[in-house]
Amino acid sequence: MELTLNINGRDHRLSLDPRTTLLDALRDHIGLTGSKKGCDQGQCGACTVHLEGRRVLACLTLAATVQGRPVTTVEGLAHGEALHPMQAAFITHDAFQCGYCTPGQLMSAVACVHEGHARNDDAIREYMSGNLCRCGAYPKIVAAIRDAAPQMAPKTGRV
Amino acid sequence: MRPFRYEHATDRAQALQLATTPTAAAAAAHVAAPVQYLAGGTTLIDLMKIDVMRPEVLVDINALAGQHGEIRADDAGLRLGALVRMADAAAHPAVLRDYPAIAQSLQLAASPQLRNMASLGGNVLQRTRCNYFRDVTYAACNKRSPGSGCAAMEGVNRRLAVLGVSDRCIANYPGDFANALAALGAAVDVEGPKGRRVMAFEDLHRLPGETPHVETNLAPGELITGFSVPAGPWTRRSLYLKIRDRQSYEFALASAAVALDLDGGVVREARVGLGGLSAKPWRSHEAEAALRGKPLTEASAQAAAEAAFAKAVVHGETRFKPELGRRTLVRALLQCAAMEI
Amino acid sequence: MADDAGRRPGGHIGQPHVRIDGRAKVTGQARYPADEPTTNPAWAYLVISAIARGRIRGMQLEAARAVPGVLDILNHANVGQEVKSPMGPDGKPTTTTLESDRVWHDGQIVAVVVADSFEAAREAAYKVVVDYEAETPSATFDSPGVQAEALKTDATHSYPLKGDAAAAFAAAPVKLDARYETPTQHHNPLELFTTTCVWDGPKLTIYEPTQSMWGLKAAVARQLGLDLVNVRTVSRFAGGGFGGKGAPTSRTAWIAVAARRVKRPVKLVPTRDQGFTIATYRAETQHHIQLGAERSGRLLALSHEGWEISSRPSSYNVSGTTTTARMYACPNIATKVSVVHADRNTPGFMRAPPDTPYMFPLECAMDELAHELGIDPIELRRINDTQTDPVDGKPYSSRSLMKCFDAAAAKFGWARRNPQPGSMRDGDWLVGYGCATSCYPSNIGPATARLSLTPQGKAAIQLAGHEIGTGAYTLMAIVVADRLGLAVEDVQVTMGDSDLPPVPGAGGSNNAASTTNVAAKACEEIRHKLALAAVQAGAGIFAGADPAGLKLADRALVGPGGRREPLATAVSRISSGAIEVHVENVPQGLAPDAAAALYQGKMSMSRGAERKDVTAFAFGAQFVEVRVHRRTCEIRAPRAVSAFAAGTIVNPLAAHSQYQGGAIWGISSALHEATEIDRRVARYVNDNIADYLIPVNADIGEMDVIFVPEEDHRVNPLGIKGIGEIGIVGMNAAVANAVFHATGRRIRKLPIRIEDLL
Repeated sequence: MELTLNINGRDHRLSLDPRTTLLDALRDHIGLTGSKKGCDQGQCGACTVHLEGRRVLACLTLAATVQGRPVTTVEGLAHGEALHPMQAAFITHDAFQCGYCTPGQLMSAVACVHEGHARNDDAIREYMSGNLCRCGAYPKIVAAIRDAAPQMAPKTGRV
Repeated sequence: MRPFRYEHATDRAQALQLATTPTAAAAAAHVAAPVQYLAGGTTLIDLMKIDVMRPEVLVDINALAGQHGEIRADDAGLRLGALVRMADAAAHPAVLRDYPAIAQSLQLAASPQLRNMASLGGNVLQRTRCNYFRDVTYAACNKRSPGSGCAAMEGVNRRLAVLGVSDRCIANYPGDFANALAALGAAVDVEGPKGRRVMAFEDLHRLPGETPHVETNLAPGELITGFSVPAGPWTRRSLYLKIRDRQSYEFALASAAVALDLDGGVVREARVGLGGLSAKPWRSHEAEAALRGKPLTEASAQAAAEAAFAKAVVHGETRFKPELGRRTLVRALLQCAAMEI
Repeated sequence: MADDAGRRPGGHIGQPHVRIDGRAKVTGQARYPADEPTTNPAWAYLVISAIARGRIRGMQLEAARAVPGVLDILNHANVGQEVKSPMGPDGKPTTTTLESDRVWHDGQIVAVVVADSFEAAREAAYKVVVDYEAETPSATFDSPGVQAEALKTDATHSYPLKGDAAAAFAAAPVKLDARYETPTQHHNPLELFTTTCVWDGPKLTIYEPTQSMWGLKAAVARQLGLDLVNVRTVSRFAGGGFGGKGAPTSRTAWIAVAARRVKRPVKLVPTRDQGFTIATYRAETQHHIQLGAERSGRLLALSHEGWEISSRPSSYNVSGTTTTARMYACPNIATKVSVVHADRNTPGFMRAPPDTPYMFPLECAMDELAHELGIDPIELRRINDTQTDPVDGKPYSSRSLMKCFDAAAAKFGWARRNPQPGSMRDGDWLVGYGCATSCYPSNIGPATARLSLTPQGKAAIQLAGHEIGTGAYTLMAIVVADRLGLAVEDVQVTMGDSDLPPVPGAGGSNNAASTTNVAAKACEEIRHKLALAAVQAGAGIFAGADPAGLKLADRALVGPGGRREPLATAVSRISSGAIEVHVENVPQGLAPDAAAALYQGKMSMSRGAERKDVTAFAFGAQFVEVRVHRRTCEIRAPRAVSAFAAGTIVNPLAAHSQYQGGAIWGISSALHEATEIDRRVARYVNDNIADYLIPVNADIGEMDVIFVPEEDHRVNPLGIKGIGEIGIVGMNAAVANAVFHATGRRIRKLPIRIEDLL
């Protein structure tokens, strides 16, 4: 089927098998490989993206269902050379090791702050529990979010 | 995933029309219909990827959120549209204040991402996580393939059910929200080719019995449009307790949805739902009866728990679950009684 | 150059530095192998066996072939002869796949569907019908039909014996005799086991996450009968390894064959559940421990017998008695290990392969003995601490075990512990404190590298190294910057490509030691060249000076008394472009041709437990608090403190992460992880990461890490012991010991779960 996906502010016209997930569309058809496939069944969070500003799993989302709805991926977080405060905090706090879960962690972390769930460490831990990290960077992810949250601009648009 | 036709419904009438075909009507069960509704997709797409579900047509009903996406609370109770997302219901001020068991059952389920995706209607229809059901290379699964047997009875079954099981199936219902709905005596609104009907939420799911593949009392093509939870003096004093190995992002080993109307220390009315270890969303009328008119104490809570699990049936690794279930219920009741409201 | 070891005042080694690949990782630009752009790839999808033992009578492929877009279906009938069987993690024969009709284990690759799209390949794979001749499989310990094989000392494992442990145990005034079990575990790195193969004429490029660039290259070349120069492996980043990407697996050669047949690049992204059977795992183990002691706590006898599961054809084993025999002073030691062959896939390396499953029983037994004796568990370790290897009397290169215990105990608040089990409570939660010894042998291998330096002060180091999350890129940059007197940002590091000089696989915590020592040696060669040229140059300020007295610091050649010549001058004297060296490092005790062997894909390793001169281990002490709900018995571990002494720490920032991640692995291993096996069919049941539990963020609270300073001049020139694995080793027992302290229940089988405590 023919469809147009709006990713990081840019439209992509694609011809896709209706079975194609948003994750596979991003990775294999648009060439945005930042979003990762860790389980392909909604169990790990590595494919987390923002759909109309809300964090969702790209692996369980059919590309066909997101036509005309803006999607933001990890590639859309930074403004040019300027990293998003969350990206910078992840580097400073060494909040990753292998880096594979990191795009999903970042997308969840940004959403976690925007949702108002980064008020204390326990809330951060709970609201970051949909993103598995096998390297065990959890304490540093919490520290990075705690640090980045006050630097983030209040969110505009839909939550 | 098998090929399917993707259809986008702009309103309910169109959705129902797309789902009403002769072959659909002839399907053995709602879940076996060749046309399936797609909302959040968190169960359906997963099961299609692993070849457990093979619908021929998907009808995208997300655009129905305008018709069925409202949360409304008034003196009569709580109305939840079927296309409300789990996260939105969990965060709604009225739900949090007046129906904490519902808010918590949603909040403790899945992950933030999944709660943003999953609709309430889809959530209650979530299918079992039994590994023998989910792996199509096991020949024996009466739920997936009627009459084939049950590989789980003698297998790895720690996560499966002890309440409501039959000699055909011990799969558990994995969700949380539905147990709270069952406990609070909710009703479910259904629209289908033959019009609208309302049924008690307790009647939505079926016990496995001889036909574990049927799962619900929905006819093929029927669509859940909303839920209503009646108001009652017990809803504010309610909670959802979920016991699991991990602190978060895991299905329950045992859970309890409880609500109490207390007169001093005496139980005027009790509502008890159980999850994680039951074949369908579970309301324990036995536990409720055991509590009614009694002071809420450790002893009466224990007696209620005994009543709730009197008919539990264990298989292999599920041997610990009646005891875990009893303890979960006792803890939930005592905690609920101690709530400051 | 032992006096040139480790940290230098003002140097970069030992200073925390953020990862130089951090920006790539947080922007989604870091390319994991499946992210590499390929032109018009076809997609592979694996069909895996649904039985664990038997033969394939035939396959019905018509329905699968009829799926639009299907290009090819590889199976034993059409490609069986095209590859030589792979070798297992121990370099010896292992299970096969499409080479024959034989099925060795559940989930074995039996066909590879290749199609124009992922969707078509998956759909067709579901339509492949395999007709099996099935036999009843043997799943694990105690299953009918398993075969036990007692192991004998060989090149990689020994079974220490000393004195007469049986007699000493029989005569000991205090005895501890117990059996323990550890479960099957799977690495489950977040990245899937992907492979992309691209042919360019006779040349094959393999994009596959690996912990052994040259090992994979050599293995596939052998399997396909290709010249080594025609096989290139690329893995710039691996999404976690943990040992699971250490040994080559069967899939790679078949994807190469598929790409050759369809004349297109072929990409495989296997499913999560397939990862449980197409790669390796940590086998379940059983243990029998006997400790005999004096009332004072002094050990008189240690006997440790272990059993491990392997596949039918492979005797892969980890034999961690090599470690446990060396933990405590003890005059009488007996060890023995048997492999039990079952109808399973071959196990392999998983984080601290021998030490994790074998230290768990020893450290629980020590805790049990301490309780029996009424001695504090820390003091029992102190009573039996030693500075010489109890097996053969060699000195430890360094051993700071009790310093670790004391530092961790102080930070943890061990003094607040009431030794009585079940005595500590916080509301409805029973509170328990536990501790255990951690350790890991210090290994180092031969390594090679290419290093260049420009007059502008830019250095570039190239080696076929591995970034699996350890911070390897940054590690190299720090060492080179430190030794060449540059800023870390001035060093460009290229790794993850087998076209670069070989280094050993990243396993056994050898990576830091092996690669930093060769990098330092390369820097020293460059320094030496610059110094020699400077003293020989008639006009320079160092003319006639002793070249050994000239150092590189702050972008200059610096002589005695602080005289400086700018780097630009010094380098330009030799080259206007760049000065470049290619260096090999063969650590002490290895064969002189060990570096040459790397070019054949053969790795040798100087192992800390088996050196001639010293016994080299890193040591640590791990403490954890657990809480068990008094009614519903959920077990939580809200805080832990781990102290480690591992010689020189190059980058404390990344090292902290490694230690912390290891400790989290330990908690995970003790409380969460277990692959459940359906014994009737020898099949992994919870083969996904919703049911195979690893901790989520909310499970992990305060995870303190203490670096206990340690200078080790004997372990290797830079004094590096390796830190990637030690973090997990002691935590398993520490958790079990804490659960005992909280509840009075001694659980000797991992993982510990709610039902064990109800």
